[in-house]
Amino acid sequence: MLKGHLDAIVLAALEAGPAHGYAIIEAIKNRSTSTFDLPEGTVYPALHRLEQAGLLSSAWTTPPGGRRRRVYSLTKAGSAALAERRKVWGRFSRAVDTLLGGRAWPA
Amino acid sequence: MAGVIDRYVASLRRELDFDPALARRLASEVEDHLRDAAEADPAWPSPDAERRAVERFGVAREIAAQFAVDAVDRQARRTWITLLVTVAVTFVAMRLRAMWLDDGAIQALAPLVDRYAFIGAIAVGAVGWFAFRRSLLAFTICLCGLLASIAAGIVRADLFAHGAPAAVLLAAAGEIALVGLLAFHVIGLSRRLRRTAALRGDDR
Repeated sequence: MLKGHLDAIVLAALEAGPAHGYAIIEAIKNRSTSTFDLPEGTVYPALHRLEQAGLLSSAWTTPPGGRRRRVYSLTKAGSAALAERRKVWGRFSRAVDTLLGGRAWPA
Repeated sequence: MAGVIDRYVASLRRELDFDPALARRLASEVEDHLRDAAEADPAWPSPDAERRAVERFGVAREIAAQFAVDAVDRQARRTWITLLVTVAVTFVAMRLRAMWLDDGAIQALAPLVDRYAFIGAIAVGAVGWFAFRRSLLAFTICLCGLLASIAAGIVRADLFAHGAPAAVLLAAAGEIALVGLLAFHVIGLSRRLRRTAALRGDDR
């Protein structure tokens, strides 16, 4: 189930600012209080797919005294896509909440 | 002797052999990731820290399979675009040939072969796409391109033999180049489909 929303989760993890793959996985783990403990490698196909779709951009950077890393950032299209996915998720989760909570639908 | 991370990165590169540029880029990115993860392990530096970092990362073959699915999707899109451009250029080239041939330059048979080959190929392509739209896209595209190029090839040979005008020859050259590009994309699509099937088959 999580896999279907991985792209949106990755976009959301990059909303705070550019980050490399390892930092993105850590952010997802921390923000979900370890509920989403994905195999770390699954984030890379998502990053590549989002970059190909123009929702992310990436560049190699080398911090002083540090290791060279590919850093990803949201593009304008990525920010717009994230806003849209939030809306869709909001509607979906309200509908599921209502159904599982036994209330009349639409709420 | 290569460490755990080095061996893992090498195996990931092998699994991504369907896209050498991606394999190179990802190998270096994943190696950085794994070294960060291993360094954050309390047992660092040790082979156990590297092993745990690799285990958390996931099975190389499963990660490669996810990339392969995306690669098939992109290749299918490129193939579709090339197919549409090829059909459009073939139509223009066919009309140019028909106009020139109508001047009475060559025999009456050539424009008929050209015209009906084009229409026949489009019809076979459309029927094939509809009938096999879920499974045999590559086969349909191949058949469509093959029929069109065989029939139009007969006419093209005639054009070169009789010294057609530059515009007619240019359009024919464009057609040949596009059919070649289409074949290249179809072969690429078929290769990626086979690789994806192999990678995903081993997951089960």
